[in-house]
Amino acid sequence: MSRPVLAAVLLSVLAVIGTLLLGRFGAYMMHAVAIAAIGALSLNLLTGFCGQINFAQAGLLGVGAYAAGLAGNAGWDLLALPVAGLAAVATAVLIGLPALRLRGLYFAIATLAAQFILEYLFKFAEPITHGVSGLLIKPMTVFGRPIQADQGYAIVAITLLLATFLVMHWLRRTDLGRSFLVVRENEVVAKGMGINVARTKMLAFMISGFFAGIAGGLIGFTARLAHPESFGMSLSVDYVAMIIVGGLGSMPGAVLGAGFITLLPEAIQRLGEIFHISDQLSALREMTFGLLIILFLIFEGRGLSAIGSRLVSARGWRTRQGGRAEPLELQKIKSSQGGLE
Amino acid sequence: MKKLIAAALAAGLLGSARAADITVCIWGTITGPDALVNGMSYGPRDYFEFLNQTKGGIAGNKVKLLLLDGRYKLDEELKIYRRCVDQEQAVYVNGWSTGSVKALRDQITQDKVPFMTQSYASEVLDPQKLPYIFMAGPTYEQQMIIALRDLAKSGGKNLVIMHPDNEYGRGPVNVVRQSKVIEGNGLTLQDTIEFPYDAQDLTAQMLRVKAKNPDMVYVQASTPQLLVILRDAAKVGLSAKKFVGNIYNISPAIPEQLGANAEGFRAIQVYSDFGSDIPAMADIKAFEAKGNEIQKRDVYYMKGWFEGQVMAKAIEAAIAKNGGKVPDDIAAFRQSVRNEMEGLKDVDTGGIVPPASYANHQGSTQARMAEIKGGKYVPVGDWIDAR
Repeated sequence: MSRPVLAAVLLSVLAVIGTLLLGRFGAYMMHAVAIAAIGALSLNLLTGFCGQINFAQAGLLGVGAYAAGLAGNAGWDLLALPVAGLAAVATAVLIGLPALRLRGLYFAIATLAAQFILEYLFKFAEPITHGVSGLLIKPMTVFGRPIQADQGYAIVAITLLLATFLVMHWLRRTDLGRSFLVVRENEVVAKGMGINVARTKMLAFMISGFFAGIAGGLIGFTARLAHPESFGMSLSVDYVAMIIVGGLGSMPGAVLGAGFITLLPEAIQRLGEIFHISDQLSALREMTFGLLIILFLIFEGRGLSAIGSRLVSARGWRTRQGGRAEPLELQKIKSSQGGLE
Repeated sequence: MKKLIAAALAAGLLGSARAADITVCIWGTITGPDALVNGMSYGPRDYFEFLNQTKGGIAGNKVKLLLLDGRYKLDEELKIYRRCVDQEQAVYVNGWSTGSVKALRDQITQDKVPFMTQSYASEVLDPQKLPYIFMAGPTYEQQMIIALRDLAKSGGKNLVIMHPDNEYGRGPVNVVRQSKVIEGNGLTLQDTIEFPYDAQDLTAQMLRVKAKNPDMVYVQASTPQLLVILRDAAKVGLSAKKFVGNIYNISPAIPEQLGANAEGFRAIQVYSDFGSDIPAMADIKAFEAKGNEIQKRDVYYMKGWFEGQVMAKAIEAAIAKNGGKVPDDIAAFRQSVRNEMEGLKDVDTGGIVPPASYANHQGSTQARMAEIKGGKYVPVGDWIDAR
């Protein structure tokens, strides 16, 4: 078992133990972080690995929430989550077919348009989504038994986060994973190397969509309501912020970024309460939040993962996880593809 | 600093022991799209604080108060609910948005925690299926029915309804339309006009209304949308007198910003306005005189003060039932408060609303019309019961 895999498994076990010790509120926060981390890993695959900026992440999460809700309400039990993933894959294909002909900023704008279309559909496809009232969702069931406690949801989310991390870790080491990185660096070079760029980008979008759908399904089951206003543009921006703050292209970074963006508002709230300035901080919280992210990007552009790497290195542990530029990985690709020059 | 952050996070995640015998947890939109009406969250906080300062709390026990900012975001509100119920061990929770209460309604029943909702949505009002959820007045549908009865009473016949394309706009209108209550009152619905929630120009819609020439235009919308509606109505020569809004259209911003174009506009008034000549205002003034700042001086603050009154009455009755002591077991305390809440009868609210009873979980189903006259809302007519 490689070191990152071992670390992921150990951290997951600790997280599960933590949920059992922390009480209901703590378990809910763990659960929220785990869901955000699955969504961030999913976006990191598309944006960090494959270089395609996606502003429709909230829409894909929404598709997952509605699909899981409908399947769960129909009594599909554990199948509800894979259904959510597959529904998001289908949506990703629909978005991807026209959008993946575009590059860079144009692709990002196309996903932005898709986000607005999905928001519109959530509101107006009433027979499926229940429109502006939202779809009420029954508790998730496992072999017919409903999960009622937040600790139960947290354990499911942490398990799925571990599975997502391991799949992505494995994927990155496959030919497909390496071709993502080449497409990210230079599409012309990728074509020259015999990589089918359109197919690669579509596969990245589909795999990313699947995990976004799973995360969306978990959101739906926790909230017990899939509501159009919960999957708006600002949520997509939050996910982009997670992978940038964490360190674009870094899987541990995506998880750290998810934790940072999810927990920071709560930390600001609690600090405000300690200093009896929560009313004032409440008004300034959004600004404080934005300001912290800007400062972060100015002083540590490679994200939390770079800070983590430095801390680990300082303690004498060797690591290869880091920011976006990974010359070692590219060296491997070059040699595996017969070289670029 | 690092230690402080760690301490804050640890306190947040690990939970805290009960710091007071009675904890009341309130969340509202302190910042966010609905902040205009957040007086209804400051109101209950101030009422409990008033009890702490003037009567030593409830039955001699200080009330620990939390006012948190849900920011009108579902995920934030769901998180705050868990904090209130689990970490803070609140005996009573007062929560904000319709969406959050809908999402939480089964959990509230499961947690058996008394919950005062700021929403007026009929979907969260069901004393049998949702025995722990209480409301502070008539539902949106009942408010609409009060306006319809007023129209029928004044001899009007034709009606147009306007609402934004969100749940708050569309939901109650659909319920009223399907219930046939419009026809039942001898009225004709000429048109229903839905418009974008964030519309900045509704001139075309106003021309459509003008072409119908209705006796009343009922608006199920918030103040920002009503400002656009009345502005554009004036543009096309429609008088504000034709328009009637719900509880959320009693806002000083309307006469202030629209001036003469708002004259004659009517809205459903469930609570006496801030500054009215009623006994409850004496308490509010006394509270202010002690150096407390009143954050919002409007009808929504009065709603919140009323909520504080009935919540406190139920807590007081539960303590009395336990021999004057706060029950040690929070679950038993919550259950007792819930039972006492349902048993409240003809509570004197100092004139904020008519005497309130909570067997129906609503407190009051009465409202009256208030009209803008000389730049101020003036009650016109008597209280009308929607039942």
